[in-house]
Amino acid sequence: MDNFQKRFLEEAIDLINDLEKASLALDANQSDKGIIEEIFRIMHSLKGGSAMFGFVKADHFTHNLESVFDLVRKGKIPVDDNIITITFSSIDLLKALFNENEDLAESVLPDVEKLVVVMKNIVGATAVNTGSIAAKPAANQNETIGKRKCFYVLFKPQASLFKNGTNPLYLTDELCSLGTCFVFPRLNEIPAWASMDPTSAYIWWDILIEGDISHDQVKDVFIFVEDYCQLKIEELKVSGLSQKTELLEKYKTQAINVETLTIELASNKEQETEDTNKQRKVVNGIKNLKEINNNNSIRVDSSKIDKMMNLVSELITTQARLSLFSETIDSPELSAVTENMQKLSKQLRDTAFSISLIPLQHLVTRFQRLVRDVAAEIKKDVAFETEGTETTELDRSIIDSLNEPIMHILRNSLDHGLETSEERVRKGKSPQGKILMKAFYSGTYVYIQLIDDGAGIDPERIRAKAVANGIISADAVLTQKEIYNLVFMAGFSTAAVVTDLSGRGVGMDVVRRKITDIRGEVEIDSKVDVGTTITIKIPLTLSIVDGLLVEIDSHNFIFPLSSVDKIYAVDHKQMSDFSQLVTLEGERIPYYNLSYEFTGVAKEVDVEQIVVVRFENQKVGIVIDKVLGEYQAVLKPLGKLYRNQDFISGASILGDGSLALVADPNKIIKKFANN
Amino acid sequence: MSKTVMIVDDSPSIREVVNLTLANAGYNVLEAGHGQEALDVLNGKEVDLVITDLHMPIMDGITLIKELRAKEAFKFTPILFLTTESQAEKKEEAKGAGATGWITKPFVPEKLLAALSKIVR
Repeated sequence: MDNFQKRFLEEAIDLINDLEKASLALDANQSDKGIIEEIFRIMHSLKGGSAMFGFVKADHFTHNLESVFDLVRKGKIPVDDNIITITFSSIDLLKALFNENEDLAESVLPDVEKLVVVMKNIVGATAVNTGSIAAKPAANQNETIGKRKCFYVLFKPQASLFKNGTNPLYLTDELCSLGTCFVFPRLNEIPAWASMDPTSAYIWWDILIEGDISHDQVKDVFIFVEDYCQLKIEELKVSGLSQKTELLEKYKTQAINVETLTIELASNKEQETEDTNKQRKVVNGIKNLKEINNNNSIRVDSSKIDKMMNLVSELITTQARLSLFSETIDSPELSAVTENMQKLSKQLRDTAFSISLIPLQHLVTRFQRLVRDVAAEIKKDVAFETEGTETTELDRSIIDSLNEPIMHILRNSLDHGLETSEERVRKGKSPQGKILMKAFYSGTYVYIQLIDDGAGIDPERIRAKAVANGIISADAVLTQKEIYNLVFMAGFSTAAVVTDLSGRGVGMDVVRRKITDIRGEVEIDSKVDVGTTITIKIPLTLSIVDGLLVEIDSHNFIFPLSSVDKIYAVDHKQMSDFSQLVTLEGERIPYYNLSYEFTGVAKEVDVEQIVVVRFENQKVGIVIDKVLGEYQAVLKPLGKLYRNQDFISGASILGDGSLALVADPNKIIKKFANN
Repeated sequence: MSKTVMIVDDSPSIREVVNLTLANAGYNVLEAGHGQEALDVLNGKEVDLVITDLHMPIMDGITLIKELRAKEAFKFTPILFLTTESQAEKKEEAKGAGATGWITKPFVPEKLLAALSKIVR
């Protein structure tokens, strides 16, 4: 399943949910024309999308469903319990059809066909009644189920293939998406390193593919490159390739001869299972290798993962010592081994991390459900959308701690933020409110934004309430941002305030506390009648970071490498001590001299080392004494004595046993910018 | 990181169809009305894919393909061109100029995305 399809699948699920909601409304009020139009529109979108993104069975089904509702819409069929029942059964079937689990989609097909016949009868009967041409009788149902075929493909690009922008891997990938595929890359024509031209194609492929496909479909994959490659497509008179993986194993190293292969596969036939149904299921299961991988997950006790992470941390610390030691000994063999160790431990680290991270998507279903239920309860029309939640990954424990605050924010947004449809229309907005959950990485942080297009919060009212509650004095001068952040103050939201204030406030201090617990930050921004955005910022809680090791006033500090933009050596005369600005590559950048900030004593040096980092979309320089190099830092907590400072995220033990403090450049800048 | 695609066509409606389809599919889209404008817009910028019509005022598609292929940054960038069935020689000419593939007009979004799947990811 490609990305477009996945995207549509999400959309389809939303549409089906909408459909369910609208159908419930129709059941309650069977004569409401508006609801019927809404249902028709949703079915139409489902049909259009299914057709465009290749969901053939769903397309066929929604087409019939749409035909029925087209007649309902035109008043040719009355809405009765029969129609309602059909609609609800359709919703259940659609849920199965638009499921990533293809087995499930497959299993409901008989029911789908039955319902299609019922719907065709309804449409047909009406067509006869109104005297127009009778609808076509149900088409040959078996039409869509083609015959499984097996092809051998030889794909040998010319050396010049890359020069027109082709990437042969996309072609083999596309081929794989057509069915069960066995791809054997042949590397024998890659020349020796010295005589290799990196812009030439040397690899060729033997490919076996089996599926409901035709010769033309296979050929079509290579349509753009026909002139630039040797291409042979032959149909094999065999079946059940995926059952014979052992037999195919040897072709990893051996070129395929079509005749011998056919004979081999045929003689192997006796071993095949007789239960063709079962076989079909297996083949379907293997249709997409990626999906298998997804399903092939195991559950592991999280304490085991924690233990593994600890061991990996220890390993990296030990490896750092080894590296340091090997530098002092002039032994090429030792340094080769050390280098290899370093590479392996880095890979081990990355793998270990990827195990402990899960996509934010895990929470989304819960939120979708919450939005649907709450919206239905308070009779508001709300769409919940997500962006980036599949690709943004966080530690499981963090994800779990995020659940409650986000639920809280969503509930607030639904309850106080979004207006009723009537009110929205009055304001010239679309009747349906929208909440978007957006997640993305930036620097060493994960951002999660909850954006609604509701009524927004009036800063003046917040201010007034804060003054009334004694949180700020009446003459306090606050920026808009600061005013909004008052919402998070404990004591801001008493019940009386909340009901009075048309914004949020329900326990937002609790939300903030929960998020600070996981070292995160939360901010709120709003515009009256445009909407409210709540941004949650969470540091990537990696306990091992790729860092830049630097020296400040004879102490070691580590900056996360991901936040470092560039490092400069600048003549001191070019820097303005007065304005604290330095011009780098034609850009004026503010800087902070950490040695001075820490000790209060300015050092006299001719050449300054400046590490430029990104801070809230702008560059800021941090002047340090010396850059020592790249370092994999294993983060250790500082202990409770230091819990009230936040610009040092931890400490790390260096190879020689000394300590380095891991600094968070963003927080350092924030701290000094405020002073 | 979403991919950036440039669509070069003198017909605003074709640009719009392509733009909508690709934007929906998560691409960033740049537009240009002819070859020269495309070169101006692309000046110094790299994109992941160029889709160009062949018949355009000021600078036609084939010249554009040749110009792009001559630049270091676009040496291996996939380039698709839009063509009709009747333009067999034009097709050969565009392929010869270094185009990666083509889309036959008229096309539906599905066809565009299918062609795209062969050359970008």
